[in-house]
Amino acid sequence: MPDKPVRVTKTPKSLELAITNRCNLRCTYCSHFSSEGDTGEDLPLERWLSFFEELNQCAVMDVSIQGGEPFIRQDLTEIIDGIVKNRMRFSILTNGTLITDEMASFIKSTGRCDQIQVSIDGSTSEIHDTCRGKGNFLKSVDGLEILRKNGIPVTVRVTIHRHNVFDLENIAKFLLEDLNLPGFSTNSASYIGLCRQYAKEIQLTHEERYFAMTTLLKLSRKYNGRITGDAGPLSEVSMWMEMEAARKKRMKNLSGRGCLKGCRGVFNKIGVRSDGQMVPCIQMPHIALGQINHERLITVWQQHPALNELRRRMSISLDTFDFCKNCPYIAYCTGNCPALAYTITGMENHPSPDACLRKYLEEGGKLPDDGV
Amino acid sequence: MDNKPIINRSIVFREEFDEWAILFYPDMGTSFGLNPVSVFIWKHLDGEHTVNDILIKLRKQCEDTPDDAINHIEGFVGKLIDHGFAGYEHHA
Repeated sequence: MPDKPVRVTKTPKSLELAITNRCNLRCTYCSHFSSEGDTGEDLPLERWLSFFEELNQCAVMDVSIQGGEPFIRQDLTEIIDGIVKNRMRFSILTNGTLITDEMASFIKSTGRCDQIQVSIDGSTSEIHDTCRGKGNFLKSVDGLEILRKNGIPVTVRVTIHRHNVFDLENIAKFLLEDLNLPGFSTNSASYIGLCRQYAKEIQLTHEERYFAMTTLLKLSRKYNGRITGDAGPLSEVSMWMEMEAARKKRMKNLSGRGCLKGCRGVFNKIGVRSDGQMVPCIQMPHIALGQINHERLITVWQQHPALNELRRRMSISLDTFDFCKNCPYIAYCTGNCPALAYTITGMENHPSPDACLRKYLEEGGKLPDDGV
Repeated sequence: MDNKPIINRSIVFREEFDEWAILFYPDMGTSFGLNPVSVFIWKHLDGEHTVNDILIKLRKQCEDTPDDAINHIEGFVGKLIDHGFAGYEHHA
C-alpha cells in the first residue's frame, strides 16, 4: 500500500478507556475474554491519573469508561476525579449490577457525566439471565433506577441473541412503556471475544436475523424512532434495504460506498486497554500501538504506521477483494466493521463477511418488505 | 476599552484543520467552532491585551481588515464573556 499522508486532527477528540479487565459477570457473548485484550492486572490509579494530564494537554474532550465492568474498581471515584480535573466529560458502559446510591450521587455531583449505558437484554429475569447469569436482571434494573433517581442521563443497550430475539416486543414495552425510558439502542451478539466460543448457541440464524429485522423495523416505527441500532439487525436492515433499493434502481453508486468505509472511528478516537496499551479501538485489542505514559499520545495518534494504515483502509476499493467478486452490491457497500472482519477472516483490511448482504441472501436470508 | 479580557482556563481549546478550532466548555458540554480570525483573537485573550490592542495586531496580520472590525471583535469577545468562555480579572 502506498505511504500516502493521511489528513488527521492533531489529537483525538475522544478516548475509550478499558479501566479494568475484571468483571463480576461472564456474559456468554461478551466482546472481551478470550481476546488479545485479556491482560493481567489492571493499570494502577496513578498511571491513569498521569495519562489524564496528557489528555488535558491534548485537548481531549471526552472519554468512555469501559471494562470489564468499570464499577468493579474500588478507586473509580478517584479515576473520575482525574477525568474531571483534566477538563473532560465522560460516559460509562456498565452491566448495572454494582451501582450504589452513593456512587450515583457522586457521579451526578461531578456535572460531567454525559450518560451511563446499562445492558439489559430481556423483559424478564428468565430471558435476561440466560446469558448474563442468575439474579442479574433485577440487579441491572435496580442499578438503572438508582441512576435515574440521581438524575443521571441513562441509556439501555439491548444485545440481541437467540435467547431474546422473540422477546423484542416485550423488551420494547418494558423499557419504553413500563420504565418510560426515552429510548434504547440495539446490537447483536457478534463473533468477537467470548461469543466465538458459543457462536452456534448465541448468534442469530438467518431466520432469526430476518425476524429481528422485521420486528425492530415495526417497533422502531411504533415507538417513533426511540429504538436505534448502531450495529446489529436494525442497523443492518436500514443499510441493506438501501443497498437493495439502489440495485433495483440500477444506481451507479451510493455516496461514500464502494470502499472499506465502514468505520471512521480511527479519525476521532483511540482506545486504551486495561494494561495501558493504546489500541485503535477496544474491539481491536490485538493492534498494540504503545504504552501510555511511555509513548506520547500525540505521536502515536499522528504517526503510528498501524493507525495510519487503518485510516487508509477507507481508500481500499471493494472490487479488489475476491470475496466481493461479481457482487451486485459493491457500489453500495461499506465492508462494515474492521474488528469483525479481523475476528472472522484474520484481516482488518477486508470486508466483514458477517455484514455481507450477498452472502446473507445466498444462504437463504430474506429482507423485509418495504411496507413492513 | 481599557479592559483586558482573559480566557476561562477551564475551557478546552482544540485546534482542528486549516487553522480552525473548537472551544469546549466541559462543565456545560457546549462547544463553539472558531474560524481562523476568531482563533487569532482567542489566543490574545491573555489579560495583557485590550480589544484595541488585538485589533492593531490583527491589522498587522491580515490585509483588508474591514473598517468596522473593532465592532466584530467586541461582539465576539462579548459573546465569549456572556457564555462563560472568557472574562476579566479582578484585582484587589
